[in-house]
Amino acid sequence: MSTSAQSAALKFEIVAKCSTTKARASILTLPHGPVSLPIFQPVATQASLKGLTSTQLAETGCNLCLNNAYHLGLKPGQETLEKVGGAHALQGWKGNILTDSGGFQMVSLLKLAKVTEEGVRFLSPHDGTPMLLTPEHSMSLQNTIGSDIIMQLDDVIATTSPDAERMKEAMERSIRWLDRCVTAHKRPEKQNLFCIIQGGLDLEMRKVCCKEMAKRDTPGIAIGGLSGGEDKMLYCQVVSACTDLLPPNKPRYVMGVGYPEDLVVSIALGADMFDCVWPTRTARFGNAVTSTGTLNLRHASFANDTGPIDADCACTCCMPEDEGGLGITRAYIYHVAAKETAGAHLLTMHNVHYLLSLMGKVRAAIIEDRYPEFLHSYFRRAYGDMAKVPTWALTALKEVGVDLLA
Amino acid sequence: MAALHNHSSLRQSSHPLLFVLQKSNTRQDEPRLGRLSLLNRVPMDTPHYVAASSRGAVPHLSQDMMRENTNIRAMYTALEDFIEKASHQDQTPPIFNFPAAPHESPLRKFIALQKSALLILGPRRIPPLPCPASSTDSAISIVTSLGFGMLEYTDYVEAIQKLRPDIVLGIGDVLFGHKPGVKRIDKMGDRTLAWVKELVDGMKDEENGMPRPALFAPILPIEAERQSYYLDALQDELVDSVDGLVLYDTASIDAIPKTLWHLPRLSLGEMNSPHKLLDAIARGIDIFTIPFITETTDAGIALGFSFPATKAPDVDTPLPLGVDMWAPTHAKCLSPLRSDCLCYTCTNHHQAFIQHLLNAKEMLGWVLLQLHNHHIVDNFFAGVRQSIQNGSFEDERTSFEKTYTVELPEKTGQGPRVRGYQYKSEKSEQRKNPPAYRSLDDRKEKLVEAAVLSPSADANDFEQQGFAEKAE
Repeated sequence: MSTSAQSAALKFEIVAKCSTTKARASILTLPHGPVSLPIFQPVATQASLKGLTSTQLAETGCNLCLNNAYHLGLKPGQETLEKVGGAHALQGWKGNILTDSGGFQMVSLLKLAKVTEEGVRFLSPHDGTPMLLTPEHSMSLQNTIGSDIIMQLDDVIATTSPDAERMKEAMERSIRWLDRCVTAHKRPEKQNLFCIIQGGLDLEMRKVCCKEMAKRDTPGIAIGGLSGGEDKMLYCQVVSACTDLLPPNKPRYVMGVGYPEDLVVSIALGADMFDCVWPTRTARFGNAVTSTGTLNLRHASFANDTGPIDADCACTCCMPEDEGGLGITRAYIYHVAAKETAGAHLLTMHNVHYLLSLMGKVRAAIIEDRYPEFLHSYFRRAYGDMAKVPTWALTALKEVGVDLLA
Repeated sequence: MAALHNHSSLRQSSHPLLFVLQKSNTRQDEPRLGRLSLLNRVPMDTPHYVAASSRGAVPHLSQDMMRENTNIRAMYTALEDFIEKASHQDQTPPIFNFPAAPHESPLRKFIALQKSALLILGPRRIPPLPCPASSTDSAISIVTSLGFGMLEYTDYVEAIQKLRPDIVLGIGDVLFGHKPGVKRIDKMGDRTLAWVKELVDGMKDEENGMPRPALFAPILPIEAERQSYYLDALQDELVDSVDGLVLYDTASIDAIPKTLWHLPRLSLGEMNSPHKLLDAIARGIDIFTIPFITETTDAGIALGFSFPATKAPDVDTPLPLGVDMWAPTHAKCLSPLRSDCLCYTCTNHHQAFIQHLLNAKEMLGWVLLQLHNHHIVDNFFAGVRQSIQNGSFEDERTSFEKTYTVELPEKTGQGPRVRGYQYKSEKSEQRKNPPAYRSLDDRKEKLVEAAVLSPSADANDFEQQGFAEKAE
């Protein structure tokens, strides 16, 4: 099968494949420039990445970030977006943008949301008036936003839901809604509609969904409904089952995943793209993502720690001053975390840079065909002792030929 | 002015700081042009301002933003921002353990201030929060992030020895928030003198071959006669140790003895508008801390004045000094905050984005306003210096006063979350920060975060925005 694909507004080329695992390194060319995959996409929910300027975001190495259609639809609203000329113009961002459809927010944020064949019925958060969001609304809004990748409206339910009937209904409805989205999408030459595979933790349902959605030949494919507190072992099985069935020449995006170990394992299982609010949200609580784990720098033990946030990190904060950085120390983050907004900005910058740089190292390892070795050294660094690596990661990696305990 | 760059004169002098006035004063109070030079720092032309920091950062500006997108030449830091562990937990504040080479300031390294900028350290934040306890003969009352405390002047001296800022402010026995009584006034001069002397002695102890920090001594906000003993000492035994003066109000200019006219004058007074700054410049103040920059930023106001005023005055409709960006009228405006502004914000963004960010309570809104507002004040001082140079300052000042409104715009929107050390609540005031969490219901919390439309929005607004349609 081909290892590249092109549609009107997207080009996907696989550069290298791991000879052991299912990991791939590729280039995804979007209307606002090429993106090296695998990639972590930071989440700028309301058209701003938690205090960072677009220049600072670009300096972390980011060229593809997320906005949320649900939030932008409310503030500043579709009419304003239309006037301003879309989300790129709104936030002064020259890179690529992916927007989520709003379906997930509708269900996760709003109590009493009810999904019908027509769309998502929900009560207005303000006055309780019944409202309806349809696949057509979602496409219209995302067309106005002008994001480079737009997501279909899907019927999302928690993977942990025991109701198999409802799960099946959601999966099948998501397929029908994909068809409605394809029809309603007005700018396929500028924006790429990704489908979202549903089916909960049921591998058979996932297979049906993969098969059906692959037929629709969207420029990219997302695996949705995960990262909702399900057993990690089951999560890995679902990702792996989907990547086995999906066409190899399309980018694969696992939604809502952002812990470093989840990323490196999911990449081994054949996924290319990820997003999560965790690295930026946790930064605001004073947590630093580092190569030796996540550190809560608000803890008094860091008050006198004069080392950088992460000695291996090359972000603006961590680089010493004589090498062009700021030489920010853990002690200083302790001093400002959760007290000054600037403290949140520094850690946000670091955390985003950390994840993007991790993706860069992963990519280099895949290209040089040493991803298994990379996984060994990554987990040894993060956990100190391989015996401490969680079972789900050991199992998932063993399935793709990497035995961390060997 | 090229000679002023000459640092060799600085090296030979007993003063760590060189302040050269373009012309010697002929009167007590007249606008003056100067240049402040310290070894290894970019010289600062005066009149100018000093950016006020909070816990080592200019509020909302991460250190890289400040370096790359502002012209800030000097930063004021307050010791009370760094010593909560000492005052409340009886521990050594981490800053005192911070490693630095003999020629470096641990404080500068800790807060990652660029080498070119002047680092000024004083005891209290700008503006200082009033404290319930009064000063004693040996200590002043302070506010740390853990609450009220006392700062012994001996501890202050020790802190200066360790932190080695470029410029240190002597502690003045000054009350914030109310006027001193007659008995207190008698003590103010004596205490201030004792504290300044202790500081001078403490800085002499340093024997690492590096210049001592420059010392700015307080001029107390009382009549000259009431502090004459102290002022005599400044001119006599302390004359070689004092490199500048700190003023708490503009009127204190009158108390400066003629022999000290050549010293740079830093004002910590509450200059709550550019008009007040111009008044103080006219009376010969050289350097300012300006609380209204961050205050307007927090209020969502974009400053919008220039000196000299670019438009002829119109008495009937004076121009506003700033624009409240919370106003929904900016929501679709694609112009920058000011069409002629070259700041980062105005070069990269439009009003619609700023309005959106405020409305969505995104932190970036305050970042972009803070960059812009500092830029406006930077240009204001550059214009002031140019007009003094041209001899047109008085005329331009009169014209500026006629062109602009007296006050900054009213604050309408909600500011960023404030902390206890940043803000003092008044009696019977509503809570400053809205409650962030009402219940342990995650969905509701996220909904709060999503903060949709205006509180008055209803289903029609949703529908109008095309986001969804009414179901029935």
